[in-house]
Amino acid sequence: MISEEYRGATRWSRNKQAVFTVIWISFLTAAIGTMVFFALFDPVDLTGIFDPDLDIGRDAGYAAGFFFFWALCAVCASLTAFLVRTAPKRNAKRRPK
Amino acid sequence: MSKPQGASMYESAKKIYPREITGRFASLSKLATIVLLGLFYLVPWLQWDGHQAILFDLPARKFYLLGLTLWPQDFPYLALLLIIAALSLFFFTALAGRLWCGFACPQTVWTEAFIWMEQFTEGTRSQRMKLDKAPWSWDKLRRKGSKQFLWITFSMWTGFTFVGYFTPVRELGLDILAFDVGGWTLFWGLFYGFATYGNAGYMREQVCKYMCPYARFQSAMFDKDTLIISYDEARGEPRGSRKRSEDPKEKGLGDCIDCQLCVQVCPTGIDIRDGLQYECIACAACIDACDSIMDKMNYPRGLVRYTTEHSLKHETVRVLRPRTLVYATLLLVLIGLLITSMATRTPVILDVIRDRNTLYRELPDGVIENIYTLKIINQSNHARTFAVSVSGVDGIELDGIGDEVAVDGGDVLSVPVRARAPRDNAYGIMDIHFQVKALDDEGVAVSEDSRFLGPTP
Repeated sequence: MISEEYRGATRWSRNKQAVFTVIWISFLTAAIGTMVFFALFDPVDLTGIFDPDLDIGRDAGYAAGFFFFWALCAVCASLTAFLVRTAPKRNAKRRPK
Repeated sequence: MSKPQGASMYESAKKIYPREITGRFASLSKLATIVLLGLFYLVPWLQWDGHQAILFDLPARKFYLLGLTLWPQDFPYLALLLIIAALSLFFFTALAGRLWCGFACPQTVWTEAFIWMEQFTEGTRSQRMKLDKAPWSWDKLRRKGSKQFLWITFSMWTGFTFVGYFTPVRELGLDILAFDVGGWTLFWGLFYGFATYGNAGYMREQVCKYMCPYARFQSAMFDKDTLIISYDEARGEPRGSRKRSEDPKEKGLGDCIDCQLCVQVCPTGIDIRDGLQYECIACAACIDACDSIMDKMNYPRGLVRYTTEHSLKHETVRVLRPRTLVYATLLLVLIGLLITSMATRTPVILDVIRDRNTLYRELPDGVIENIYTLKIINQSNHARTFAVSVSGVDGIELDGIGDEVAVDGGDVLSVPVRARAPRDNAYGIMDIHFQVKALDDEGVAVSEDSRFLGPTP
């Protein structure tokens, strides 16, 4: 029967799920964060604060900002996923001595 | 052959080969794909008033939307627009289920386009399955190679178009032809192109199943009156094969002939007859599949159909109910807010920055002077002349700026000005108001508050 090809087999491993979900969701939140942040601040003005001689242009500023947010959100999401997944389960069986 | 359910839980995903299907909803989805992708690829090339009609010019920090030029200061409009988009999604979900997933989501639309290319090069479902199992041969190489060629070309074009929303697309096109594309432009083009290739070519339904947050929480917007795609269990069961000439009632069978076509066409590989599942993206392919079989069997259509839980149980269906009314009201209020605020938006912005270095200066003839930098942003697309004035202290006037200043369309004028007031009137901290007024249009005027400092009385 043809549906047997799919039934129960079309699943990702939990690790794969976690990795891709973290990457994707942190990408989305980083996109929102970047949008709000750079609507308020101009990367050209900001680089002057860190180092007056730094002149990297807006394109690079936006990209740096986006990857910073992405990395930050990814750290947050992966730590959350890690803690949720490794928490002791309620009613977990003790390991036999 | 059949494995225990638990054993296969952690197995990696098996590839799904959705079967090609024609019918009402397949045509609708084809139309949606052509219209949406057509818009995506076409819009950057449209011109409006001498500039690209829709351009999010990030390097210049200006957004062009047809005749409108938006600035970073207009961000609240964008935020409001996004909230409206989210609420519309909620509203349509409550009303008609996962219409978005089935017909409008970029993931669905691009996947559909990629499947067309796959069918064009590798053939039908069974041909594709055979080809994947077959050992490498010239034919396989040719078919797979031309699929990859189409996919990659299409993805590159997609990435190029995406970047074309952020940098002027015509110049970008010329740059590409001359092999002279800026580093970041190239990077984002490849990034988006590769994401399209991976998501629409390989990840497909797994994005919906594992990565999409909307797919998980959309059920919160559902109720028993929401339009869903469902198998009519009461009519279909007990399922079983039969000859066309046989009367199912005599055999004790329902209308489902268990042909599996609804499973084969499903892009997420589920069986709709198992009931409503979160994997179902409501693409309606199974409706077309089942209707085509019902037609062949001379049974009435609609064994799998758009319906609601209430309707399946023969209860009354209410379209107007608190949930839809609340979503609709909120949506209308926000849309009204956006339209009125856009309509009453004045296309000029004034920023006043007080000089931080000196509090005030006393001039010899009994005058107190404060220094400011005025930033006048002309948000309209044509040059304007503005009258600048200040008020709030008796006898205060401006020096260093003429009565009239001209600012080019879409330009920022930054001028240092000195405000002077007689010493008798200026003491302590006083509130003053700068005003900028367009000479050609009384309605285009803004005022900005600042402080004027004088000696303590």
